[in-house]
Amino acid sequence: MDAPAVRADGLTKRYGRTVALDHLDLEVPAGQILGYLGPNGAGKTTTLRLLLGLIRPTSGRAEIFGVDAWREPVRAHAHVAYVTSDVDVWPTLTGGEVLDLLGHAHGSVDVALRDELITSFDLDPTRRVRAYSTGNRQKVLLIAALMTRADLLVLDEPTRGLDPLVDQVFRTYIRQARDRGQTVVLSSHELSEVEALCDQVAIVRAGRLVEQRTLAELRQLSALAIEATFPGPPPDLSAVPGVHALEVEGSVLRCQVDGSIEPLLRALAEAGVTRMTSREPSLEELFLAHYDRADVPAP
Amino acid sequence: MTTGAAPARALVFTLSARRAVRSGALWGAALGVLTAASALSYDHVYPTHALRVALARAFGTNTMTIALFGPAPHLDTLAGFTSFKVSLTLSVLASLWGLRAATGALRGEEETGRWDLLLAGPRRRVATTAQALAGVGVGVVVLAATCVLVSAVAIGSPAGGLRWTQVLGLGGAVLAAATTFVALGALTSQLDATRHDATTTGVVILAIAYALRLVADAGLGLHALVWASPLGWIEELAPLTAPSPVAVVPVALWTVVLVAVALRAARIRDIGAGLLARDDRRRGPRRLLTGPGALTWRLLSSTILRWWIGITLGAGLIGLVARKAGSTIGGSSLRDVFGRLGATTLGTRAVLGVASLILAVVVSLLAVGQVAAARAEEARGHLDWLVASRVSRVRWLLWRLGAAAIALAGAGVLEGLATWGATASQGAHVGPALLFEAGANLLPPALALLGVATALYGLWPRAAVPVSYGLVAWSLLIVIVGGIGAISPWLLGTSVFHHMAAAPAEAPHATANAILCAIGLVGAAAGVVAFARRDLVGA
Repeated sequence: MDAPAVRADGLTKRYGRTVALDHLDLEVPAGQILGYLGPNGAGKTTTLRLLLGLIRPTSGRAEIFGVDAWREPVRAHAHVAYVTSDVDVWPTLTGGEVLDLLGHAHGSVDVALRDELITSFDLDPTRRVRAYSTGNRQKVLLIAALMTRADLLVLDEPTRGLDPLVDQVFRTYIRQARDRGQTVVLSSHELSEVEALCDQVAIVRAGRLVEQRTLAELRQLSALAIEATFPGPPPDLSAVPGVHALEVEGSVLRCQVDGSIEPLLRALAEAGVTRMTSREPSLEELFLAHYDRADVPAP
Repeated sequence: MTTGAAPARALVFTLSARRAVRSGALWGAALGVLTAASALSYDHVYPTHALRVALARAFGTNTMTIALFGPAPHLDTLAGFTSFKVSLTLSVLASLWGLRAATGALRGEEETGRWDLLLAGPRRRVATTAQALAGVGVGVVVLAATCVLVSAVAIGSPAGGLRWTQVLGLGGAVLAAATTFVALGALTSQLDATRHDATTTGVVILAIAYALRLVADAGLGLHALVWASPLGWIEELAPLTAPSPVAVVPVALWTVVLVAVALRAARIRDIGAGLLARDDRRRGPRRLLTGPGALTWRLLSSTILRWWIGITLGAGLIGLVARKAGSTIGGSSLRDVFGRLGATTLGTRAVLGVASLILAVVVSLLAVGQVAAARAEEARGHLDWLVASRVSRVRWLLWRLGAAAIALAGAGVLEGLATWGATASQGAHVGPALLFEAGANLLPPALALLGVATALYGLWPRAAVPVSYGLVAWSLLIVIVGGIGAISPWLLGTSVFHHMAAAPAEAPHATANAILCAIGLVGAAAGVVAFARRDLVGA
């Protein structure tokens, strides 16, 4: 398949006067894992529901492997498996029956993989869904998606409710899926999970895509975090080009620097710095950098 | 902090009461309108003494209609007529309201997880349960008071012919019915782990109560059974005709005992669980769920089966008493009265024809229930997982409509079969062909409502279920109030049941049935087309 796994072109969704998604352009190459990030209400789930043809775009177009998701949903969905964070599964069916149903609905199941997943995720498929914990219900949906070996896995907060051990199992299978050439779109608030798994990150804000890059590219474009220790009170470095987010705690100074680090190094050397560490920003810091302090409600 | 402490202690009561008062006022107003409309139609429909005497002769001792609608003393008076026409309906509706209000305030709230938050604070579960019930109790009072107020104002009592004490007594009966079933709902909410199950258990008990009362009133020498039925107690209160305050005793005892058991159960059980043990493990080989068709059958089969059993039992009971009831009908004046109810013949067939309205309402509720089940699948997000795979949403809805068609066809066949078997056992020779035709005659109104409900589902999903059930209630209300000439023909025409022939008392109306079926088909087609083009919408 030459077409990208996912392509959104000017994708817009309005509910009356509310714009849930505003001319979103997004492309996910096949065989990659995309982390799709944004705060609550930014438009993540709306994007995924548009990609799956569950809701109709007000304008624009969503394609899965070149097939229009709204006009030809059945053909488009031949390549897709979907996991939601809402785990209100059919309560009167057993876990095994849900797997049968979703497997048949998809059209193909790797039975050996399904059995392996049931063991790995430690799921009892003979129990009715109503008797499952939230985490076990989530496991049913994850197994149902993974066992199809679908070309595209659309995962909307898939690990909500899972314990850390199961989360590790999930990560293992997602990496295996990517290694097999499957594409994954992972919407999550677990930034450590996205950082550990994803090749690319897309950040959506107020219905608009504000960034889509690899993590490495994001880091290159972002500030470097510096921590420096001095024999006495730290000097005032606010005038040094590129330096911002200064914090002083005793003889320790913390700051971030954009662009060239040379002016800062010179200033630190002149001030007699005794110890200095630098590190690349975490995904959490990168994410928060797109949402300045004004967006964070006061405690 | 101290200023907020006092209101917070009564938080559950306040929230529960607020909700119950709102719906109590709405339902109370509807019950009041029903009562007033019935009372106001009396002078119009039976203007002469001769007609009233004929009415009393036709129904006063007719075991069939008494079994179905309750005792009919003093039908030649406004009080007797009103009592006969609305008492049982008010009791059943008030009981349903009470049951739903209780299961909503208790199990419904618990199901959402809100009680986890409440009980994690300094609250005792017994006190919380009691507060929620007390809040519903306020709603019960509002329900009865609104019913009294609306009916009194509309009738213009006492000038309308009913005394204040009679209208107040009617409100008392509404209060007793609602209270009885609030208590039942309180108990079933402790037994079952979901609101749906708690309400279903309550509705089954309500149906049993109705059946017991029906047998008690069927002239089979089993009238003492009326004391075994909560609806029988309400019937014995007879506020409009022969008030019997002693019937308050079983109502009070039942309420106190059930609420006490419910509070005790609330103290000892786990939050989120019911006392009734459920088998949460499926043993043996599982049947493969191979797609939306198999899923539809799996999800709906037990419910449809229960509907079929209920319809079979109901039709059977009617068939059992039809011959005896029909034998009491005779004379030209009675023929006139029955004619006003749609029957063109007398005897067993006339009784079955008049009773077909009740069965038509039940079959229509079955039809609308299928659309409600489809909407519930969508609202809970289950449909997302199917539609996100290779299942077309149109195909899914067609499976659902197919299941509804099978459910309706089965209901029609079983109704004919049960009526035939029951009437034959009593020596009434009504041919099976006529009775199966009468069973089939129940389907066109149900199909029309199924189509309209499907169209609403496609176009306006969040409102589809309440509006569709409202249409059934409207059709019934119109046909009850105006079916014998009390309202304008135009308004009467808005009821699907008005267009249904009273088969087997008369031949099915081929043209009307064809139009009703066409409405069903067009509505279903419009619904499917609209559904294919709209967003999937959550709760």
